[in-house]
Amino acid sequence: MNVVALVGSRAVARTRRIRHETAIVWALFWLALRPSSWPRSVRSVFARQMLFTGVEAIPFVSLIALLAGVSLVIQAQLWMSRLGQSELLGPLLVTVIAREVGPLLVNFVVIGRSSTAIAAELAGMKVRHEVNVLDAQGIEPMIYLVMPRVLAVASSVFCLTVVFIVVSFGIGYVLGAMVGTGPADFGLFLNSIVLGVQPADFGNIAAKTLLPGLFAGVIAVNEGLGVDMAATEIPQAVTRCVVRSNAMVLVISAIVSVLTYA
Amino acid sequence: MIDAEQVNLRIAPGEIVVVNVEEGRENLPIPDGAEGLLAPESGRVLFQGVEWPDLSPRRQALLRSTIGRVFEHFGWISNLDIMENVCLAEWHHTRRPAAAIAEEADRWARRFGVFPIPDRRPAWLHPMTLRKLEWVRAFMGQRRLLILEQPLRGTARDDAPLLFEAVCEAARQGVAVLWTSARPLTNLGATCVRLLAMQGSFLTSP
Repeated sequence: MNVVALVGSRAVARTRRIRHETAIVWALFWLALRPSSWPRSVRSVFARQMLFTGVEAIPFVSLIALLAGVSLVIQAQLWMSRLGQSELLGPLLVTVIAREVGPLLVNFVVIGRSSTAIAAELAGMKVRHEVNVLDAQGIEPMIYLVMPRVLAVASSVFCLTVVFIVVSFGIGYVLGAMVGTGPADFGLFLNSIVLGVQPADFGNIAAKTLLPGLFAGVIAVNEGLGVDMAATEIPQAVTRCVVRSNAMVLVISAIVSVLTYA
Repeated sequence: MIDAEQVNLRIAPGEIVVVNVEEGRENLPIPDGAEGLLAPESGRVLFQGVEWPDLSPRRQALLRSTIGRVFEHFGWISNLDIMENVCLAEWHHTRRPAAAIAEEADRWARRFGVFPIPDRRPAWLHPMTLRKLEWVRAFMGQRRLLILEQPLRGTARDDAPLLFEAVCEAARQGVAVLWTSARPLTNLGATCVRLLAMQGSFLTSP
């Protein structure tokens, strides 16, 4: 087979898929602005998804934030003591955790915990003809199945990233104070963090959480509802969902970093 | 695919159309076609005088909310409890208080002998109970059309009169009924019943 043709056809197919998913994100955005898109059944699905994706993930995300904070502070101790710059612990935490590691790890956690579950759930519904059951009752799958799940995933990624940053900073302060790499006074620590924050950081965090969250949600529902009739397609859909979502997170994260700080 | 030439498929308010199908013949496309979920290869499907494709998705959804249906096969959302399933369409389309919706569900459940509505997911229930709970869901709310796909399949003989009575009562109130059945419905007892029959892939008017 012609290698150029193969590469070209794959690139075209991938571009079409990305365009399709971007169109879904755009359509969902407008759909979500219409009050009529939020009957109580949809609000209930949104609340349940927030509970599963956001609230129930808090302990796990906090644990990861704690471990990441500990690792970072140990490294900081090593380098700060050599440089004699302990006041830079706050800005270092902001740079590494808030800008890069936090959003990235939280996205991976949400993809592993929730996107996979959504893809499997919707693929199962498709195989069991449950999507038709909804349609037959006048319940639009786009409003009832897709919109609340995607928005809940995006909102959860954002909120969990805030939790991640707060816990990491907290453990950073405690460990820093204990091992002497950071200020013992909490006010000083907070001040060093505030000094390390730039206005662009807020946009950066929002873009690195909401955008990948939206796309991770759309990829999950797209892969889930994309199966036909065989149950054997469900694990394949879940695998594709994980691989594509993780790649998408890394790409969006890199693009946002370049656009924000380069 | 079915061929329905020379057959009047119009269902008037209050009319009951029974389509007799051969035992073992499944997945008749007429119910999905009537709901605008399947487009015919030729011809048109109108609901309340309007062709389905001419309506916006929102309007289609609203019209479908006036159609109660018993599905030929599994007609439940697996990750919802039965009560949530039964009340889902009313919960979605109306602003009736939740208590009023639940009360109506309980009323129909009493009538069909499945009260109290089990607080479990569909996978835990016996097919016979699920079938009768589908009747409950089909009759909930303000219906203009009832589509009953082999609704007696898997139920006890004693249960049939309960459904016949409810269907005839709905028809008297102006609800159109499309009923597919693999066995003759001798006990329906309504005057406004029209019979159609599937012979092979042909729909005929006997």
